[in-house]
Amino acid sequence: MTNRIGKSAIPISKAITRRTVLKATASGVALLSAPAILTGRAHAAGKYMDLESLRSAKIDWRQAEGSKITIGVIPAGYFKNLETVLSDFAALTGIEARLEMTPPGQIRQKAVLDLSSGTGTWASHAADPMYYPLYVANKWIDPLDAYLGNEKLTDNGWFRYEDILAGWRGVTSIDGKPYGIPYDGEATIQVYRKDVFDKLSLKPAETFDEFMSNADKAHDPENRLWGAALRGFRGAGQNMYIYPSIFRAFGGEWFNNSGKMVVNSSEAIAALEWYVKLLNNYAPQGVENWNWPDIADAFGQGTVASYIDAHSSAAIVANPEKSKVVGKIGFARWPKGPSGKRVTSIWNWSFPINGALSNKDKTATWLFIQWAASRETQVATSYAFPGAYKRTGANRTSVWALSDYRALLEAAGDNYISATTTSFAKDTDVEWRPRLPQWPAVGDTMATAIQASLVGQASVTDALNAAQRKIEGILKG
Amino acid sequence: MHRQGGLFAGERGFALLMVSPGLLVLALTTTFPLAYLIWSSFQNINLAMPFLDGFAGLDNYRDMLSDGRFWHALQLTGIYTVSSVFLQLVIGLGLALLVMQIPTGQWLFRIVAILPIVLAPVVVGLFWRTLMLAPEFGIVDFIIRTLGFESVNWLGSPTPALVSVILIHTWQWTPFAFLVLLASLASLPLDVFEAARIDKANAFQRFIHITLPLIRPAIIIVVIMRSMIALSAFAAIFAATGGGPGTASEILNLYAYKTSFVELNFGYGSALAVSLLIITLGVSGILFHLRTARRS
Repeated sequence: MTNRIGKSAIPISKAITRRTVLKATASGVALLSAPAILTGRAHAAGKYMDLESLRSAKIDWRQAEGSKITIGVIPAGYFKNLETVLSDFAALTGIEARLEMTPPGQIRQKAVLDLSSGTGTWASHAADPMYYPLYVANKWIDPLDAYLGNEKLTDNGWFRYEDILAGWRGVTSIDGKPYGIPYDGEATIQVYRKDVFDKLSLKPAETFDEFMSNADKAHDPENRLWGAALRGFRGAGQNMYIYPSIFRAFGGEWFNNSGKMVVNSSEAIAALEWYVKLLNNYAPQGVENWNWPDIADAFGQGTVASYIDAHSSAAIVANPEKSKVVGKIGFARWPKGPSGKRVTSIWNWSFPINGALSNKDKTATWLFIQWAASRETQVATSYAFPGAYKRTGANRTSVWALSDYRALLEAAGDNYISATTTSFAKDTDVEWRPRLPQWPAVGDTMATAIQASLVGQASVTDALNAAQRKIEGILKG
Repeated sequence: MHRQGGLFAGERGFALLMVSPGLLVLALTTTFPLAYLIWSSFQNINLAMPFLDGFAGLDNYRDMLSDGRFWHALQLTGIYTVSSVFLQLVIGLGLALLVMQIPTGQWLFRIVAILPIVLAPVVVGLFWRTLMLAPEFGIVDFIIRTLGFESVNWLGSPTPALVSVILIHTWQWTPFAFLVLLASLASLPLDVFEAARIDKANAFQRFIHITLPLIRPAIIIVVIMRSMIALSAFAAIFAATGGGPGTASEILNLYAYKTSFVELNFGYGSALAVSLLIITLGVSGILFHLRTARRS
């Protein structure tokens, strides 16, 4: 919908792209690339970004000209913005990249299906960082050090891979080798109703105990205000998104000294008991089926006093069209757990390269990934984006330092930037969740156990013991 | 078949030729996947552990014996099938008997009855989840609270969730039982009832001794068809509860799906699916046998 090919000369370059494919001979390419360069010159500024700044990279952006690649993404604002500015990528490289929107509930399965069958339908896709061990174990994707280290493909003086947030780089790498380049992501932070807290003289929680007691004091269901909410819906990316932070903050370790995975340790039981007690006592009914949009909606309707979830949920709670609590929102870091740790998620969507592609398409895909992760594109899809929605999950430290970007974020509410950036800097933990090829099965098993104890189908101990048995079976094969 | 000479033999060859595209499509879309499913149930195919892939023999089936979640799912499948088929039959028969009493306008009931059947199960699941059973905002909860009862978290607590998915399935498929039984009732010979009435048999006796035996074939057909569908139910539960909360509504079909497509363990998932296939074939075999035995 958003490929706004207007009155610019971009259609000409697209036509050239198509002809290039038809006449893929050396002479044909040479002949046709001349007008393409002219087109580029005519649009040095680009429609959405400064192409000259991209061209300052010492690589040949047009080396895979004529390629057509499809990238699987989810229909979220941050990818829709990317889709809008794609015309500038075509103008820069002569590559036709298409974003295919797939709902978040299906993108993992579709990607696994595509990768395991080796069809190369998706040159790249928005990848869940927890899936990298699985991808790598099957050798479905290319290690990216070969691309980052190749001067023909990457000018790292310009790209600056190290500028991407460290936690995100860590979680998209296996054994120190990068396999995906993060595009957009989030930190989990505490969100609370400043007006309610001020009235009750409460402060944002510093510890888990305080979070529970704040919820207790603010809890007033008679007047349709519930104390707190966390993700309750069963899923590796839902309740198994929030529980790992609690587990780690209670001092839990996924693997014991002999490398065995343990999910029913005393820390695990304490963490799950805390979660169950909080939600059963202070969350609205139905929370066991809530994912983050449900929490943000309820908070926006003024029925929840505090929650802990992605910083990007501010896009809903601070949106005057959707929320009744704009101007009454405060933000803070995760509270400290009993172990003294604060553990935020290091969730991000990143782009890997499908190993089943031809070399030319791999180059095209790498150029796309570099472009999407570049500072220029990050800015163009964020505060500089002409549409109403502007991304707030930029991938680079340098972008988070830009005053325009900070001004965009500060509008969300009190202490938003400080809570988020401090989280990125201090609270990230690469071992937030157990990184294993068997993650899909392990994550789902844990999600089932967490929900079963939340709704009282099993006690916390029984649920975790059952999960432990099942996980031992999964890891044994 | 009788040998009828060259002309017919030629026709038979031609006939075979004409149906062969259909047979080929059928083989490719049903026989081949089925054979592949059975083959993969004897293999280790686990995308999370590709290094272990290979022939597994009966390992997958042996694993099932000690898998608590499998037995739990099997038990739920039994409860789900027996109770939903029983409810469909009783309510469907009751409605059919009621509608038979209406002298004109039966066609209207038949049309209304078709509506739930033509809805896609996934739509039915979502419709019940979001519109009817949602806590606080759902229509069912609204009615219950208006009547002065405590609000029930239908899809969020273990037992109500199982009851809900059974009721959703019953809601969608009772009309099928109703339509079949109504048609069967309409075709009963009136003179037998006339004779019974002259012999002073009361309504209950007439129902037990005349109506029921006469519509038994229709009842058995309904039970067979509904049991086979209930055993392999998937979409409505998947949309309404996803098998949850926890594993409270995870029938065997959902567990097989999850094992294959969420946990990526295709070998074990195939074995679970094959076991469901065997159970379905077994149950329908017994019911068919019951039907023919009664007849003879």
